Amino acid sequence: MRGTETIALCGKGGVGKTSICSLMVKHLAEAKGRKILAIDADPASGLAASLGVGVKKSVDDIRKDLIGKIKKGEETDLTEMLHMLDYELFDALSESEGFALLSIGRPEDEGCFCRVNSLLKDIIHDLAGGFDCVLIDGEAGIEQINRRVMKSVDHLIIVSDTSAKGVSVARTIAAVARENQAVGCRTMGLVLNRVRSEDEVRSIASNIDIEIYGYIPEDEVIRQYDFQGRPLLTVPDGSAAGRLSADIAKRFMK
Amino acid sequence: MELFEPVIRELRSFIVETPHARSWAGGPSRPWPRGGARNIVLKDDVGVELGGPSGESLSCLVWTHDLPCIRDGCITLIGPDISECMGVGGPLGKVVLVGVEGFTGENAYERHREMDLLRYDLDLKGFMIRAVSSRMSEWCRISRQAVRQGFSVQILGSSLMDLFRKKAYVKAVEVLFVTSSAHDLKRLESITESTARTISAMNKMAGEMRFDCEMCEYRDVCDDADALKKMRDAFMKRQQEAENAGN
Repeated sequence: MRGTETIALCGKGGVGKTSICSLMVKHLAEAKGRKILAIDADPASGLAASLGVGVKKSVDDIRKDLIGKIKKGEETDLTEMLHMLDYELFDALSESEGFALLSIGRPEDEGCFCRVNSLLKDIIHDLAGGFDCVLIDGEAGIEQINRRVMKSVDHLIIVSDTSAKGVSVARTIAAVARENQAVGCRTMGLVLNRVRSEDEVRSIASNIDIEIYGYIPEDEVIRQYDFQGRPLLTVPDGSAAGRLSADIAKRFMK
Repeated sequence: MELFEPVIRELRSFIVETPHARSWAGGPSRPWPRGGARNIVLKDDVGVELGGPSGESLSCLVWTHDLPCIRDGCITLIGPDISECMGVGGPLGKVVLVGVEGFTGENAYERHREMDLLRYDLDLKGFMIRAVSSRMSEWCRISRQAVRQGFSVQILGSSLMDLFRKKAYVKAVEVLFVTSSAHDLKRLESITESTARTISAMNKMAGEMRFDCEMCEYRDVCDDADALKKMRDAFMKRQQEAENAGN
């Protein structure tokens, strides 16, 4: 994946990872000439709605279909299987202006099909290589991304609200990422969400050993969008959340 | 080794009988810049989309030892060229006809697979391909910029033929494209129906652990083709040798 920047967003459930991921997709996609792949790896699967696109099929649907074929004895050779998965994954992309979305889906039926899971990860890796930037809306920890989506990521963004619980989970995620050499992220930072005052940011910054990339204030515009179920791609750039998320996204624009 | 000759004869009749078929014969390949790593064409950049999940497609490969059967270097197009499809999707039929030498029961399957995989080596700026051989389906996207710069079936066909010519056993190659209508694609499908069964039979043999011909759904295909019987014998011999080596 020469030159492809892979960014994963992790954090405690409910802290606003998906909203921040959507806003980053918006800013990165608006920088013309770049191909952006958004991957929804959160089993809650909210990124598609937040980006205003539909999902035709998920990676898990493709996986189940393939496992079904293998069980029925319809398995073909490895090369053919790779090309078939490549075709199916491209077909599973929800394409919109400036970006494409791949939904991983729910891992309801894990089973022991390591070969299929490994093949899918290889194909996602190959597919991602066609894009300039990949944003992964993940689960709580980086290890799930490593297991289900991609072997490694370049940048880890840990998202938290200002609650003690959210910040505690952020610390744990950072510690696991540092210990887990396999993930191999080059940079790691914290984005604070729903911040009410800069004092909150200063207080958290003095008690955590993770660089703070920025913060998103509690924004009435975002609250209204969420309440009405409107995609965040149309959030005005002039809103506080729009402006500050653009600053965070700029870190990842080459 | 005869396998696809009846299909090639029917394809020849199909081309001759189709009034709007256009052919370009034997010219040098037309250069086109390489695509490189970011050669993915997304929907908002698509100039022309052929085949794929939303359009119909049929793609296959047939070969023969009868070299005069193949019009080496010839590209035939039934339907509009890429620039004439700008902004619209359409069906895609593609048949690569190859004149070969030295194919035997021992090597025919591997060589067929080798040739079939060549399309993935196409590296043309603004051209993206996805394909599933077992379904004979193909999906091509050409970017708006590539279409504006003159990307055509001649460029695509000649680039593909260049890849085939790198194989020492390929002595002649031609390509047929069908972009006209679902109706023409149906005709192509009926002509190549036996090809699909032949290839499925070959794939099954290659993946087979036990050769139980009495139970096999492709028995009629093999019974009709000596070449397939030779391939099956070669696979069985290889498997026997592997078993003996294991014991």
